[in-house]
Amino acid sequence: MAYTEEELKKELETKEYEYGFYTDIESDTLPIGLNEDIVRAISKRKHEPEWMTQWRLEAFAAWKQMEEPEWANVHYKKPDFQAISYYSAPKKKDKYESLDEVDPELLETFNKLGISIDEQKKLAGVAVDIVMDSVSVATTFRDTLAEKGIIFCSISEAIKDYPELVKKYIGSVIPIKDNFYAALNSAVFSDGSFCYIPKGVRCPMELSTYFRINQAGTGQFERTLVIADEGSYVSYLEGCTAPSRDENQLHAACVELIALDDAEIKYSTVQNWFPGDKEGKGGVFNFVTKRGICHTNAKISWTQVETGSAVTWKYPSCILKGDNSIGEFYSIAVTNNYQQADTGTKMVHIGKNTRSTIISKGISAGKSQNSYRGLVQVNPKAKNARNFSQCDSLLMGNDCGAHTFPYIEARNNSAQIEHEATTSKIGEDQIFYCNQRGIDTEKAIALIVNGFSKEVLNKLPMEFAVEAQKLLEISLEGSVG
Amino acid sequence: MLTVNELHASVEEKEILKGINLQVNPGEVHAIMGPNGSGKSTLSTVIAGHEDYEVEKGNILFDGEDLAELDAEQRAHKGIFLSFQYPVEIPGVTVTNFIKTAINASRKAQGLEDMPANEMLKKIREKAALLEIDSKFLSRSLNEGFSGGEKKRNEIFQLAMLEPKLAILDETDSGLDIDALKIVANGVNKLKNKDNAVVVITHYQRLLDYIVPDYVHVLYNGRIVKSGTKELAHELEAKGYDWIKQELA
Amino acid sequence: MELKEKMLSSFMVLEQELDLSSPVHDIRSESLKTFEEKGFPTNKLEAWKYTSIAKLLKNDYSLFPKKETTIELKDVKKYFLYEIDSYKVVFIDGIYSPFLSDTTHDGIDVCLLSAALSKPKYKKIIDKFFNQVADKEENLTALNTSFAKEGAYIYIPKSVVAEKPIQIIHFSTGEQGDFMLQPRSLVVAEENAQVQIIERHQSLAEHAVWTNAVTEIFADKNAIVDYYKIQNDRHDASLVDNTYIAQQSSSNVKVHTFSFGGKLTRNNLNFYQKGEHIDSTMKGITIIEDQQHVDHYTLVNHEQPNCESHQDYKGIYSDKAVGVFNGKIYVDQIAQKTNAFQQNNNILLDDKATINTKPQLEIFADDVKCSHGCTIGQLDEDALFYLRTRGIPKKEAKGLLTYAFANNVLESVAIPALKTRINKLIAMKLGVETGYDL
Repeated sequence: MAYTEEELKKELETKEYEYGFYTDIESDTLPIGLNEDIVRAISKRKHEPEWMTQWRLEAFAAWKQMEEPEWANVHYKKPDFQAISYYSAPKKKDKYESLDEVDPELLETFNKLGISIDEQKKLAGVAVDIVMDSVSVATTFRDTLAEKGIIFCSISEAIKDYPELVKKYIGSVIPIKDNFYAALNSAVFSDGSFCYIPKGVRCPMELSTYFRINQAGTGQFERTLVIADEGSYVSYLEGCTAPSRDENQLHAACVELIALDDAEIKYSTVQNWFPGDKEGKGGVFNFVTKRGICHTNAKISWTQVETGSAVTWKYPSCILKGDNSIGEFYSIAVTNNYQQADTGTKMVHIGKNTRSTIISKGISAGKSQNSYRGLVQVNPKAKNARNFSQCDSLLMGNDCGAHTFPYIEARNNSAQIEHEATTSKIGEDQIFYCNQRGIDTEKAIALIVNGFSKEVLNKLPMEFAVEAQKLLEISLEGSVG
Repeated sequence: MLTVNELHASVEEKEILKGINLQVNPGEVHAIMGPNGSGKSTLSTVIAGHEDYEVEKGNILFDGEDLAELDAEQRAHKGIFLSFQYPVEIPGVTVTNFIKTAINASRKAQGLEDMPANEMLKKIREKAALLEIDSKFLSRSLNEGFSGGEKKRNEIFQLAMLEPKLAILDETDSGLDIDALKIVANGVNKLKNKDNAVVVITHYQRLLDYIVPDYVHVLYNGRIVKSGTKELAHELEAKGYDWIKQELA
Repeated sequence: MELKEKMLSSFMVLEQELDLSSPVHDIRSESLKTFEEKGFPTNKLEAWKYTSIAKLLKNDYSLFPKKETTIELKDVKKYFLYEIDSYKVVFIDGIYSPFLSDTTHDGIDVCLLSAALSKPKYKKIIDKFFNQVADKEENLTALNTSFAKEGAYIYIPKSVVAEKPIQIIHFSTGEQGDFMLQPRSLVVAEENAQVQIIERHQSLAEHAVWTNAVTEIFADKNAIVDYYKIQNDRHDASLVDNTYIAQQSSSNVKVHTFSFGGKLTRNNLNFYQKGEHIDSTMKGITIIEDQQHVDHYTLVNHEQPNCESHQDYKGIYSDKAVGVFNGKIYVDQIAQKTNAFQQNNNILLDDKATINTKPQLEIFADDVKCSHGCTIGQLDEDALFYLRTRGIPKKEAKGLLTYAFANNVLESVAIPALKTRINKLIAMKLGVETGYDL
């Protein structure tokens, strides 16, 4: 008999999380709970200067006054912020001079993830910073980059070694009081990546960070700061995984991008945190604030492939402050089983002749809920602003939902804004057509989904695109991979 | 090669095919003609293995093997190709990507490795030339925004690439102007050899001027009511289907 | 005294005139409780994010007319669609005007809600329909329900086609000072019935008036209801118009809203599809200027399979006008084969004009076709140039193009005289000379 919709659904449900293994590395974890002392302790343990400690405390004070937002189209049991450990570092490390010194088990972890550092070094020329349970453990290629004056290190090191840069830019795009999770992150962030590209430099390789939550009961609060100085270019990749656990793990990151005049930043994310099992148990709460500011003629491009997490709350945004600046957002969000995603972008047009493009592809399966939420705002002085948005949803099965919530605010009469949205399903006639050409149903679905997502996949750097396609297949097909 | 025995088939509990018998041997070209609603497309769809169509009685043998238990893609792997009357659009999937996926799926089923990229490319160029297909066409999304003629030409291009044993052309002539019809027919004729076979399903005789059948069958009300040689097609064209209806009455 | 307090304390005044033993009074009391809990909506509510009624709350409105006012037909004739024969239900400062009205009980009922609420012969219909589809939890709807006592009552029995359109007009004279109105209407079209209704709120003199209207419409199987809202009021008059529509299988309801006037206008238009093969259409043209504010807030609730909905809203904004479009399409899990389309196109003619638009899709069924499109832009410069090369002056060319932009919404207007009237209004608004074959 041919493959029925029922069988397909069953297979979708039985898909297991591929990266659900736990790395047995001793780690050094702070007691659970959150108060001023913990914030001070994090800062102290990281040997931070006083200004940083004060900054964190200010954020903590603000956070205490704030309430967890409820406007998103997601429903979950709110995390108990006093039941989380806010710091967990793999032990017996100080600093790795080379990869040889990295815990072999950790390296094995990366091998399991299919991101063998050696491989990447050889094949793609990717410089990788790995943040595992909050602490940055390895940065490759640092010397090669240093020749060009590029700084690529953990944010902790940057606070120590480049305090002026960090002080100037941290919190400049995402103020500490911006929102509940951003305030929390500002208070307790334990590590993350820092990148600075000097004037006129084109970063010769993709910079990459891998995030992984390993320890039980820990939250991951990484902070990323990317500064592209005038006329520079960088392409930055970010990947995320977490082991399978029954309880929900919290991830509340902040990413700030600063593109100075004529600079360009491409920021790509493949998010594959543990989505929970097929009953909806466990999984990562992914509450992330990502925002970039574009100065004159600058360009920021966000590309994301979101397949993981139990709950996603994430709106990578662009403040188009400078004249002629460009913001782009390309997103694929896949939800299956009981996953919930509320994701999209904000394009804030302030400068003249600013342009933005939004392409969002949502794919819902199982009992999941997938929402696009986006804001396009044209301010009174943003003459000749242009925006094009397209939001397409694909539904697989009848127990899931696809939702679109675009907000468009135009306050300048020269604005040209176009928004389109569609919702559709995979047609049985499409599947039969593929079958007749010898392509089985599973492969046919992968092909159709890939076709549906193509405009976004094309925006990813080559080596990421392959991984992303694979992830889409894994997320939706079960046995592939 | 293809043996259809006393085939009864229904869709949504409505019987469409009411006892079809058909024998197609290697090297032969068969034409199946008939008025609208006679069951022509149903026959091709049942042979291709669409699960919405229920075989109530009889069987279909392909190279002696009963197809009943085989999925559509398994039948394709055995060498059955259906050129659709209404080819389906798949946005975002290019013609090249689609054909590559199809060829490698069949090769995998036969225990072969994927076709090497350069060999694939060479074959695509060769077959595209045969059907006078522009290379830009190959990078377009499958059937999306294609004209009727382009869709049909794309079907024959896939036929050329997949090199099946049995090709069923369902109303391939509909929507084609005379020039496109010639190109398509020419393509089919060049692909024809002593080991493969073609079943042409058509309402009109015109296509049969270019793809000349060895046998012509007239399908009416779910049965083959008359069989003959290519002259039968001409007779049908001249006298119309009412002639068959009258003869039967 | 705050307006909310005033409303709450005035309820007792209202009660003096009412039959407190009627079940309708229980509904009023319940609604008052809801309003007491919720108060007036603020910007904190997602549904009111882009429209603030804070300014409306500052006036000291009279809630009940102090005296009956009469007006001469000749003074208000222009507000009627007088070219055609029609039934009329007319209110002056919230009080029924028998002189200006033309009601009927001949085969259909076109009369007053107050009569329907109090007379036994309407009890069955009132029990079945009154306050059934209206959102009991919505702040201003609850307020209206608690004060609901007058408005139009329209009942079309099974298989009857109302032979002429019905006009409902609410005049506000200014004789009462600043004035708040709570008109309440009920329209019931039984199986296979047909009716056309034109509704208008018109202020006649300088004074602040705030109308908080609720209309409930029921279209039974195969019924056809065509509803037109003409909003071309003075710039000191504000309107919150709540319309709730319940449709049964194979019914067809169209609502056209023409928003040209008023200070602040908020249209809450809600469709609930209760059967299969239903067609719901909502169309709107908004042309505003100065500091006018118009907000269209639509909901189509696709609760059953095989239904369609079509939305097409056009907006043209000049000066400091603010337009809001918030359209929500909700498709329930069982509502397979839904076709839902929504289009919202806007033109900003001036620097200071604003449009906020938020089209939403909430889809829980997989076999559906839903789409929404939204554009904000200007007139096509090439087309403008083309017209000018043909000798049409710039101003008129602009008017003509703007007119063309809005005009296709009128195609579905089924009353020719109304179409002509709206055409003229649009032409006037845009300063287009008639004679261009409008």
